[in-house]
Amino acid sequence: MSTLAGELRKLPAFVRRDFLVAWSYRLPFVGDWIGLAVQAFMFYFVGLMVDPSKLPTFGGQPTTYMEFVAVGIAISAFITLALGRVAVGMQQEQFAGTLESLLMTPTSPATVQLGSVVYDLIYIPLRTAAFLVVIAVAFGLDFYASGLLPALVVLLVFIPFVWGLGVASAGATLTFRRGSGIVGIGSTVLVLFSGAYYPLDVLPNWVASLAELNPITIAVDGMREPLLGGTGWEGVGRAAAILLPLSAVSLALGAVAFRAALRRERRHGTLGLY
Amino acid sequence: MPSSLAAPVVEAEGVSRRFGERVALDGVSLAVAGGRIEALLGPNGAGKTTLVRVLTGLVKPDAGTARVLGVDTWECPRELRARMGLVPSGDRSLYLRISGLENLVFFGRLHGMSKRQAFARAHELLDLVGLADAARLRSAFYSHGMQKRLSIARALLTEPHVLIIDEATHDLDPEAAARMRELVRRLADDGAAVVWATQRIEEIRGFADGVTLLREGEAAFQGTVSQLIALATPRRYVLRLRNGGGSRRDLEPLLRGAIGGGGAIAALDDGDPEDFLLHLADEAVLGEVLAALTAGGVDVLGCREERSEIENAYLNLAGSER
Repeated sequence: MSTLAGELRKLPAFVRRDFLVAWSYRLPFVGDWIGLAVQAFMFYFVGLMVDPSKLPTFGGQPTTYMEFVAVGIAISAFITLALGRVAVGMQQEQFAGTLESLLMTPTSPATVQLGSVVYDLIYIPLRTAAFLVVIAVAFGLDFYASGLLPALVVLLVFIPFVWGLGVASAGATLTFRRGSGIVGIGSTVLVLFSGAYYPLDVLPNWVASLAELNPITIAVDGMREPLLGGTGWEGVGRAAAILLPLSAVSLALGAVAFRAALRRERRHGTLGLY
Repeated sequence: MPSSLAAPVVEAEGVSRRFGERVALDGVSLAVAGGRIEALLGPNGAGKTTLVRVLTGLVKPDAGTARVLGVDTWECPRELRARMGLVPSGDRSLYLRISGLENLVFFGRLHGMSKRQAFARAHELLDLVGLADAARLRSAFYSHGMQKRLSIARALLTEPHVLIIDEATHDLDPEAAARMRELVRRLADDGAAVVWATQRIEEIRGFADGVTLLREGEAAFQGTVSQLIALATPRRYVLRLRNGGGSRRDLEPLLRGAIGGGGAIAALDDGDPEDFLLHLADEAVLGEVLAALTAGGVDVLGCREERSEIENAYLNLAGSER
C-alpha cells in the first residue's frame, strides 16, 4: 500500500513537467482552441440547414442540431485527443530519448505510463467541460445545468475505457514504432458509428443496431440525456453499468499489452530505438 | 557518499548478448570495487554500450549474469535503481524544453523525494557541477559540456554507490572533459564504484584504476593502466634530423645506408623538412640505430614515438592497426 502511495505521489511531478513543457509551446495550445472554435462555427451553419424534427428527443425534449452536435464534438475531440496522447505518450519519451532515464529511476513502468499522460488526463476533460460551457454561452444553447454533474460522471466512467485503448496502443507503438496510425483509424471508425455528429437512425438498420453497442454511443447518449433532456441521474446508472465493466476490461487488457511490449523491448535492448 | 567497499560492487560473469546475427558481447566478465574507476575501453561497436545497458538492467543478457551490490540487474528491484546512477551517451536523455533545475527536480521526485527535498538537492548538485548560474536556463540552451554535467548531476541525485558513465567526454572540449574526469575521480575517492565507458584512450592514464578493453564483444585485456602500457611495443618513431644543406630526398639514401637492417626510414609529409619516420625492424634496438645515424654524419635533433605507448597498446589489442 505504501508502495502504491509512493508511486501516486510521483504523479504531480509528471503534471508539473508536462505543464512546463506545454507552456513552452504556446502556439499549439492556442491553435487547439482556435481549431475547436472553427469546428463549432462550421457545425453551427450546418445546423441551420437541419430540420430539428429529424433529430431524436432526449427525455421527451426536442433539441436543435447545434445542441445535439455540441456534445458529440466534445466527446469525439476528447476521444481523439486522449487516445492519441495516451498512445504516443511513451513514444514521445522514446523520441526524446528520456525513456531509459525514466526507467533508471525506482519508478514502476505503470507509473511511467500513467505519468506520461496524467497531464492530458486532467487537461482534456477540463477542456471538454470548458468547451461545452463556452459553446453554450456563445451560441445560446439550452443545456440543463442540473445535467452537468451526471454528464461529468458518465465522462469519468468513460475515461478509463479510452485510456485502456490508449495504453494498448502505446504498447503497439512501442513494438511497431508506428502504431499511432492504427489508433487514428480505430478511433475514427468508432466515432463515425457513435451518433456523435448525426442520429443513428440515418444509418442502415443493421449498422445502427451494431452502433448501439459502441461504448462511445453509450457515453454520448449518457451525456446527452441529462444535458439536453434534463433527465438528471435517471439514465446515468444504466450507462455506468455498461461502461464500467468495459472500462475495466479495456484497462486490464491495455496494461497487460503494455507490460508485455515494455518487457519485450527491454529483452531485445531496443527501448531507446525509435 | 558511501564509504569504500572491499568486495566487488559491480560484477559481470560471462555476459553474452547477440542482436540478430551480430555478437555484441561474448562471455565478458568484470568486477569493480567501491572507490575504483574501471575504464571500459574499445572502438565503436566493441560492445561498451551493450555492457553498460546490461549492467544497468536495460538489456537482458543471453547468457551470464550482471550483478550490482549482489543483485541481478535484470531482476533489478526498484530499490537498487536508487543506488545506481547512469550517465547515458548522447544528449537526448534530458527534457530540453525545461530548465536544468526542473530536470533535476523531476527526476528527484521520481526517486521519491518530496518537492522541497528535490529542490534542495537539485540546487546542491547544480552547485557541485558548476551549473548554479544556469539553473533556470532551459536545458536546450546548454552547451554539450553543460548538458553532460547536468546528466552527471542527475545520476548523483541519490548519492549512488555505483556510477555507470557511457561516453561522457566524446564531444567535449579538453577542458570540459578534464573537469568531468576530475568530478568523477572525486566521487570515486568518496567510495563510489565507477564504470567509465570510453573510446578515448588518452583519458584513462592517471584517471582509471583498471581497464577492460573490449574488442568485437570480447574482453581483449583486463588489468591496470600500467599493465596495459607494458604491453605496448612501439616500433615507429618520428626523428628530427639535420645534415647540412642537402635536400630531404638526397638525405634518404644516406639515412638508409646508415641504419642498414635496423629498419626503414622515410621523409614525413608533415610540413617540417626535418621530420622523418623510422619504422624499427623487429630485432633492432633504437639506441643502436640512433648511434648509427650519428656515426653517418647526421645530427639527431629529436626522437619521439609516433604514438604514445598507451595508444600503441590500445591499437595492438583493439586490433585496428599494428
